Amino acid sequence: MTSLAWERRRGSAARFWKAYRGHRAGLYGLAGLALIALLALTAPWTVGADVQSVTNAPGTALEPPSAEFPLGTDQFGRSLLGLLIWGARISLLVGLLAATLSVAIGTLVGVLAGHYGGWLSTVVMRITDWFLVMPALVLAIVLATVLSRSMWTVVLAIGVTSWPTTARLVRAQTIAVESRPYIERATALGGGHGHVMARHVLPNVMPLVLAQTTLGISTAILTEATLAFLGLGDPTVVSWGGMLQDAREAGAVSSGHWWYLAPPGIAIALVALAFTLCGRAVESVLNPRLGVGR
Amino acid sequence: MTTASTPAGVARAEEARATDGAPRTGVTSGYLRHAAGKLGGALVSLFAVLVTSFFLFRIIPGDPVKAMTHGVPTSAEQLATLRRQFGLDLPLWQQFTDYCAKALTGDLGTSFQFRAPVGELIAAKLPATLLLTGVAVVIYSALGLWLGTRSAWRHGRLGDKVNTGIALTLWSVPSFWLGLLLIIVFSVGTGPVPGLFPTGGMESGTGETGFAYVLDVAHHLVLPVVTLVAVGYAQTLLVMRSSLLDEMGGDYLTTARAKGLRDDEVRRRHAVPNALLPTVTMVFINLGHVAAGSILVETVFSWPGLGGLFYQALSVPDLPLVQGLFVVFAGAMILMNLIADLLYPLLDPRVGR
Amino acid sequence: MVMVTKVPSRPLPRRPDRPRRTARLLLAAALATASLAALPATATAAPAAAPAAAGDEKSGGTTLTVAVSQSIDSLSPFLAQKLTSTSIHRLAYEYLTNYDAKDARTVPGFATEWSASADKLTWTYRIREDSTWSDGKPATAEDAAWTFNKMMTDPNAATANGSFTANFAEVTAPDPRTLVIRLKKPQATMTALDVPIVPKHVWEKVGDFSKFNNDQQFPIVGNGPFVITDYKVDQYIKLKPNKTFWRGSPKFDELVFKYYKDGDAAVAALQKGEVSFVPNLTPAQAAALKTQKDIKVNDAPGRRFYALATNPGARAKDGKTFGNGHPALLDPAVRKALFLSVDRAALVDKVFQGHAVEGEGYIPPRFGSYFWKPGPEQKRAYDPAAAAKALDDAGYRKNGEGKRLGKDGRPLNFRILCHATDPNDKAVGKYLQEWWGALGIGLTVECLDSVSDPWVKGDYDLAFDGWSVNPDPDYVLSIHTCGTLPATPKDTGATDNFICDKEFDALYAQQAVEYDTAKRADLVKRMQSRLYDTGYMNVMAYPNALEAYRTDQIASITTMPEAAGNLWGQDGYWSWWSAVPAGSASGSGDGSGSSSTGVWIGVGAAVVVVAGGLLLLRTRRRATADDRE
Repeated sequence: MTSLAWERRRGSAARFWKAYRGHRAGLYGLAGLALIALLALTAPWTVGADVQSVTNAPGTALEPPSAEFPLGTDQFGRSLLGLLIWGARISLLVGLLAATLSVAIGTLVGVLAGHYGGWLSTVVMRITDWFLVMPALVLAIVLATVLSRSMWTVVLAIGVTSWPTTARLVRAQTIAVESRPYIERATALGGGHGHVMARHVLPNVMPLVLAQTTLGISTAILTEATLAFLGLGDPTVVSWGGMLQDAREAGAVSSGHWWYLAPPGIAIALVALAFTLCGRAVESVLNPRLGVGR
Repeated sequence: MTTASTPAGVARAEEARATDGAPRTGVTSGYLRHAAGKLGGALVSLFAVLVTSFFLFRIIPGDPVKAMTHGVPTSAEQLATLRRQFGLDLPLWQQFTDYCAKALTGDLGTSFQFRAPVGELIAAKLPATLLLTGVAVVIYSALGLWLGTRSAWRHGRLGDKVNTGIALTLWSVPSFWLGLLLIIVFSVGTGPVPGLFPTGGMESGTGETGFAYVLDVAHHLVLPVVTLVAVGYAQTLLVMRSSLLDEMGGDYLTTARAKGLRDDEVRRRHAVPNALLPTVTMVFINLGHVAAGSILVETVFSWPGLGGLFYQALSVPDLPLVQGLFVVFAGAMILMNLIADLLYPLLDPRVGR
Repeated sequence: MVMVTKVPSRPLPRRPDRPRRTARLLLAAALATASLAALPATATAAPAAAPAAAGDEKSGGTTLTVAVSQSIDSLSPFLAQKLTSTSIHRLAYEYLTNYDAKDARTVPGFATEWSASADKLTWTYRIREDSTWSDGKPATAEDAAWTFNKMMTDPNAATANGSFTANFAEVTAPDPRTLVIRLKKPQATMTALDVPIVPKHVWEKVGDFSKFNNDQQFPIVGNGPFVITDYKVDQYIKLKPNKTFWRGSPKFDELVFKYYKDGDAAVAALQKGEVSFVPNLTPAQAAALKTQKDIKVNDAPGRRFYALATNPGARAKDGKTFGNGHPALLDPAVRKALFLSVDRAALVDKVFQGHAVEGEGYIPPRFGSYFWKPGPEQKRAYDPAAAAKALDDAGYRKNGEGKRLGKDGRPLNFRILCHATDPNDKAVGKYLQEWWGALGIGLTVECLDSVSDPWVKGDYDLAFDGWSVNPDPDYVLSIHTCGTLPATPKDTGATDNFICDKEFDALYAQQAVEYDTAKRADLVKRMQSRLYDTGYMNVMAYPNALEAYRTDQIASITTMPEAAGNLWGQDGYWSWWSAVPAGSASGSGDGSGSSSTGVWIGVGAAVVVVAGGLLLLRTRRRATADDRE
């Protein structure tokens, strides 16, 4: 990469940041995310993997909040605050991976369909349409039931069912980009399909992809919680959705153990909100519609 | 609960705007061709759904007969009888052809665990789901439209920020969790709050008739609908807000104002009708989710609808029942997408004609 | 979940940033959210006077409402297999014999007395004279004979209970009061035939027994203590007392089984008085309910055992082995080490929160005459050190990383099949992982919605296993005999976990034909001892039945066993038949009378409108104020 191109990228990044800074809500979202990410990443040192141990659980079952256990304990006597922090790791990881998978599939399908057009596009778009009318949650539930219970199953179930939207948007954007004169010039100068897609189309759809990923993560985190709540998550790892499911199975709702039920739900809502705020801010900065964002 | 993806219609509207550059042909013939194409596409989709639903659920691990008789004294002969009754002793291809032949005549088979025709079971539960999600969609669409309009009109001000802030926050809340909290607070009763609403179900079953029965159902409807509305109205609000903002950039509004119309009138007569378009499309798409949309809320509130039935059928797996429900869920989406597709060009002169 | 709206949003017009405003904005948002959430709360103040247990004015009677979650598979006694369905059939139809509420010994039911011939092959039952069908016709031996003959001749009618009649040669009714059953070979379970007897004059009109669900015409003709009067799938089943029941009519005027698919919803309904009884509580729910007024928690010894089962090498009757069970588990030393490091007392304490009895033999102590437990020298007590030593001695050494190596030199890693819907499986799995991890053995907990597929194929190493035991233990013993193995690897047998042991089988054959109860009990105990010694199963606990009922609705009710027994899923109709309504005026199962409903809704709607208006006004005023700045 030439220093000129580097310079240009850096310039556009700086411009992006300047515009993003104007979005207050986006900044709050970002700050919230940074905080939660920090908590999740430092969890091995702050709470330690031992927090998951049932045989060495420090407390008794379902203790209310106290000085020792600020959020009380679960039915095994484990500290709920520790589990909440530890659970952030899985919830965030699943959200990130699932959204990335979904957007990756969507981008690939969208760019290919938009670039090649013709029958390939027709076929691919028919498949996309078909996926679009499938009730996504139902499909995800089925996938999660079919495969064995693990984190990867959840990632796969979410990723495979939520890509069609991205595919449609990326395809539209690809078509818009390719109708610009400089693409014609590039082709005339001997740029192959690969060159056009990688060098011209992809950079132009990236903003859209970024916005989609950010918004997708919040959906993915909510879907992860949903699947875990329906008992389709991996019961051997601690995640927020799984904690809610544990709480419900332990009967926390009717026995009034709000400290077991409330925090994971609030955590899910906050992270989902933070990602949504960021996603909306990114989207409105780049305003990918009609390809006028850049 | 709506789905995890962007509503198809909105995505399509987006796309149509982005790529709208095709030469325009005659109005009616163009529309008819468009309609025929969409109709054909919907039929192909429906067929694909029928086939998919058969094979999708056959790959679920689990022996329905063994699962159903778990914990019940059962001899090998009884297992064989059950298999024969369910048609599970036949080779897969024969099960498939039987299924297709029956499906074409509208027969979705007989449920394993209820031993009743799937069509009947679905018909019995459909009204409950339609009632719950129908009421919720109507309320949150209306609420979203109204708040979205207000927000757009005062965009960037505090009212707008509060509005969208609340909507986005509620929208980020897991619906099942909100439902559980509502049960704790308003059904069980917490502190000074007595249990105001029933904890679940659709009716008390104490034999009310007439108006008393309607009131009873309405009473049971409150908490689930509140849950669905709370997490759902943000979508309508945001779409309405942004399409109205689009419209407000239009020159004709300036003209209208210049003509001396008051802001209120400008809003009512010009901007809102135009901005309604994508929102209305989305309402239809939401109606498509009606069937599948409330699995969680139905589970939490023991609502006797299709969502709960689906989840229950899946764990056996009660193959005919899950297949039938899947066809119904996907069929509703296809139908509503079709209606949205057919309506869109009629409503919007910029697309498709 | 909620969709991600790809909302076309516009950049908002920028304003100078003022931190204080943003803080206020957030505060406003929080306030608004809070007030939204509190809307119905403000509504409650006025009409809150009417508490839950208002009488049911319309029917004017007492209603006992039971919360259930399991769906009815069929109301036809020939098809019904699920616990809810069979429990309701117990109420609606008579069986030949019943089990005493006190100690579960056989007592008269439809038959008043019975005897076996000297060759043990002919059983004669005397049918009671004072039993009539609810449509007024007398119930006779003819009905019983017809019921059994139908099951013997029509495979569809044998769907649910065919195992009881498989050994019948001929059933006749020489006169209306005498039923004669001739057997192919002796059968010890002849006083435990849990088959509902149906009225011939109603059922002989039925065509296809595989399709007839008995749920179209109400009331359903029966001769039990209750008559089924209405049923709506997954909503409710209603029963009325049978006033002419020979033992006496039940005291409640109506019995309703109402569906709550969610356990917490059922408990909440109990707290409100919407239902009178809730079964299957979690320990946390029981603890919370214990402190509440007018609610009694019943913590009774259960009829289930909860066990660890190892795969003994799945095989079929044709001798072929199949499945992929871990070869190391075929070594008794490994199984012994695994079982020795399971702290059953800790599981009872932590997982069941004390609501269980530590597991020992196979049949739960509740069935006193058949209960057996290992002697001190036979018993596998919790002893991790002995477990480690057993492994060391058998040649399973730890490697540098502390992992035990198998005979093939690879670290030992087992899988355990767990029911994804059973919280106990998941919880115990966590403990096993840590205990066996300390031994140096890895464990993967594989939770599935339906474990039957890998189980039937023998594709498992260990599994969580559990059966509900009947007063007659024949069936739960039969599932460990060679005879129940699948015919070929492709078939499915009734076998539980592929155990096939000659000694056990010989004892099983002996007890099956032993009509002397004391001798039979002795044989059953020896079978349990043998099963224990084979070391394929480790019974960890006998979970208690945790249930609760409202004492302001139910004054008294019979448990089974009478001293500290359970109420839901009894072997008999004792609980609901004996339940006495509390007081004469109250005791209704439902709290929301229709008149109050209207008030609630009216007030609720009004408050929503008013609060919505206030909210609107406030935001508007704020917005205007904002504009002025």
